[in-house]
Amino acid sequence: MSAQNIRDAVIIGGNRIPFARAHTAYATAGNQDMLTSTLNGLVARFGLQGEQIGTVAAGAVMKHSKNFNLTRESVLGTPLDPKTPAFDVQMACATGMEAIGSMANKIKLGQIDSAIAGGVDSISDAPIVVTDELRGILMEANRAKSVPQRLKALAKIRPGHLSPQAPGVNEPRTGMSMGEHMAITAHAWGITRAEQDELALASHKNLAAAYDRGFFDDLVTPFKGVGRDTNMRADSTLEKLGKLSPAFGRDLGAEATMTAANSTALTDGASAVLLGSEEWADQHDLPKLANFIDYEEGAVDFVDGAEGLLMAPAYAAARMLKRNNLSFSDFEYLEIHEAFASTVLAQIKAWESEEFCKNKLGLDSALGTIDRSRLNVNGSSLAAGHPFAATGGRIVASLAKALHGKPGKLGFISVCAAGGQGITAIIEGR
Amino acid sequence: MVTEIEMPSLSSLYGRAALGAARSKLRPGAGARTLPGRSVLAQHPGVSVEQAESYRRLFGGESFDGAHRAALPSVLVHIIGFPMQMALMSDGEFPLPLMGLVHVANEVEHLRPVRVGQPVQILVAAENLRPHRRGTQVDIKVTVLEQGADPANADSENAAETSVLWRSVSTYLSKGTQLGTEISADSGSTDVTRSDAEPKSFVPPVKTASWRLGSEAGRAYAAVSGDYNPIHVSQLAAKALGMPAAIVHGMYCAGRMLEGREPEGAGHRWWIRFEAPVTLPGTVAFAAEPHGPKAVRFTGWNPRKARRHFSAELQLP
Repeated sequence: MSAQNIRDAVIIGGNRIPFARAHTAYATAGNQDMLTSTLNGLVARFGLQGEQIGTVAAGAVMKHSKNFNLTRESVLGTPLDPKTPAFDVQMACATGMEAIGSMANKIKLGQIDSAIAGGVDSISDAPIVVTDELRGILMEANRAKSVPQRLKALAKIRPGHLSPQAPGVNEPRTGMSMGEHMAITAHAWGITRAEQDELALASHKNLAAAYDRGFFDDLVTPFKGVGRDTNMRADSTLEKLGKLSPAFGRDLGAEATMTAANSTALTDGASAVLLGSEEWADQHDLPKLANFIDYEEGAVDFVDGAEGLLMAPAYAAARMLKRNNLSFSDFEYLEIHEAFASTVLAQIKAWESEEFCKNKLGLDSALGTIDRSRLNVNGSSLAAGHPFAATGGRIVASLAKALHGKPGKLGFISVCAAGGQGITAIIEGR
Repeated sequence: MVTEIEMPSLSSLYGRAALGAARSKLRPGAGARTLPGRSVLAQHPGVSVEQAESYRRLFGGESFDGAHRAALPSVLVHIIGFPMQMALMSDGEFPLPLMGLVHVANEVEHLRPVRVGQPVQILVAAENLRPHRRGTQVDIKVTVLEQGADPANADSENAAETSVLWRSVSTYLSKGTQLGTEISADSGSTDVTRSDAEPKSFVPPVKTASWRLGSEAGRAYAAVSGDYNPIHVSQLAAKALGMPAAIVHGMYCAGRMLEGREPEGAGHRWWIRFEAPVTLPGTVAFAAEPHGPKAVRFTGWNPRKARRHFSAELQLP
C-alpha cells in the first residue's frame, strides 16, 4: 500500500471515571460496570447515541472468565448501536495503549472510520480461582462416565486444595513482584530516594492543579459519588514522603529506596478514547484534539536479569524516534507512565546515558535529555492511580487535550508493562 | 563385578533404612569400613509421559508434547536412578548408615538425550569413601546406558561413542561417622564439595528470581520423584532427625534452576553444591548469571539471613 492511502487518525476526546484506591469506593463494581459507565459517559459527551462505531477495543488485565467478551457486553449495555463490533485486548499495563494504537491503525488504513479504545481494571473484584490441583480433580470428575468414577476422582480432594488463589502480581517466570524487579533496576541505575519522592510529589501537585483549573472537566465523569481520583494527595510534602519505610527491595537494606508513596497504588477504574478519521469527526461535528501519529511495542529479556523488567519502553522509544526522525527536544509534552517513580527515572537515565544508548540501543550517542518541565505536566499514575488497562486511555486523552490548540506540537508517551514489555507513542496537536 | 537386580522401590527401602538406623543404634561402631566392590545394575522401562508431565508442571516448564520436547531433564533422569542409589546405600555391606546421610553435591554429565518412554539400564557404584571434617563422605556414581548395551562400557572415556547416555556423581556426607585411618584421605575424586577454604562471608549476587516454597513443597517433589524421605515431607520427622523444620529436596533446587535451560540435544554438564538446607516454608533468592559464553552460574540463598543454600553451574555444549 502506498503512503498516500494512509490517512490521519484523529483523537476526538476521551472519558474516564475517577480512579479509586482498591477496596474502597468501587469495591462492589466489577470491570463490566466500570467500563460500561465509562463508555456511557463517552457516548453522552460526544452524542454517540444510536451510532454504529467501527470497532470498540478494550480490555482488562485482571479478568473473570465469565467476562470473556467484556468489551462487547459493555457495548451492549450502552446506547451505542448494537451492531457495533467489539473485542477484548490484553497486554498487561500496556493494554489501553495497544487498544488505542491498533484502532488508530485501522482508521489510518481506511478499514474503519471511527473507534473507541480503552481499558478497565478492578483489584477489588479480582478473579479468585481454585488451585490447579482442585481444578484438575474437578475436571476429572466432570469427565467421569459413572458415579463411582466421579467419587473416585472427588476422593482425591485434600484440605490444602481448597484454599482460594488470588491472582498473582508476580512475574510467572521469576516469582518476583514488579516492585522487586523495579527495585533491582533502580539500584543498578543509582536512583535515589530523594529523586523518587520529588517525582511523586510533583505528580500529586500537577494532578491537583489540573483538577483545580478544570482540566479534567471534560475528561472525567463521576462514578459512584466519586469526582476526583481518590489516591491524589494535594497536601503531600517531601517531609511526609520521606518518613515512609521502604516497601520494595528490602533486601537491599539501607539502599532500599522504593516506598508506598513513590510506587503506584493499586486502584480500580476505567478509561476510553474516541478516535475517528477527519471526515468522520467533521461529519459528526466533533472536536479534533490531536492526531495519533505512531506507536511502537517493545520487549526485553528480563528473565535472568539481562535487562530490567520495566525497561522495554527505553528500547521502543529509540526505534520509534528513529523511524520518525525525532528527538526528545521535539516534544512539547512527555508522558511517562509512573508505574514507580524509579521507572520514569530509570528510562530518563537510560536515554541520557551514552553507554546505554550505544551498547544497548545501538545508537551513536545518547538519545537525549528530558526537559522535566514538560514531563507529566497534568500528573500521572503515582497521583491518579493505575488501574492497569485504564492507564493508556487516561494518558492519551489528557495529552491530546493538552496539545489541542497547538497544531504540530508533539507529545510522547511511554508505558511499561509486565512480562518485560512496553509501548511508546507519538501524538500531534491540532 | 556387576550384580543385576530388579528396579527397587523407594518405599520399601526407606522402611529398611529405618530398621538399619535402629540396628546401628543398638550396635554402635558396627558395620564395614570399606565400600562394597560391586556395581548394581537394573533395567528401567522408561519415564512415562505422565511422570514427565507431573515433573514439568511442578517447575512450570514447557510441555512434553512429543514434538518439541521429548528429552528428559537431567534431574528426572536422576530421579529414576535414585532408587538404585538407595538400594546400594541400604545394603548391609554399605559402611555408612543411610538415615542421616546428607546430599552435599551432585555432578551430571548429560551426554545424550534420554527420551520420554525410552527404556534404559541404570548402573550404580559407590566410590571414594573418605573422611571429612564433619564425618565421612562417599560418592555414588550413576551411569545410564542404552538398553542392551554392555555395562562394561560405562567407564569409557569416549562415552559419546559408547552407549552411555548420562552419568552423575552424587556426594553424600554421613555426619559424625568416623572411619578408621585405613581410608586414604585423598581418593583422587573430582570433588566439587572441597570448599572448606572458601571464605565464610557471602555477598549475594543480584537476584533474578524469587522461589516461594510453601510447606507442601517437599511433598510435591516427593509425589513426582517418589522420594518420600521423612525429612522432606514431615515437620515432625524432620525435627526428630535434627533439622529445624522440614527441608526441600536438594534436587528440587537443581531441577528448578535447570528447567527450560537444558538443550534438547543434551551434551551439557552441570554441578550443584548444597550448603544451608532450605527449610519449609521458605523463600529462596535465586540468581542466574552468565559465566562466559557457554556457562551459567546459579546461586540460591536465604534473602533474610544472606546464607547460601547452593551454588551451581551449567555448561552448555
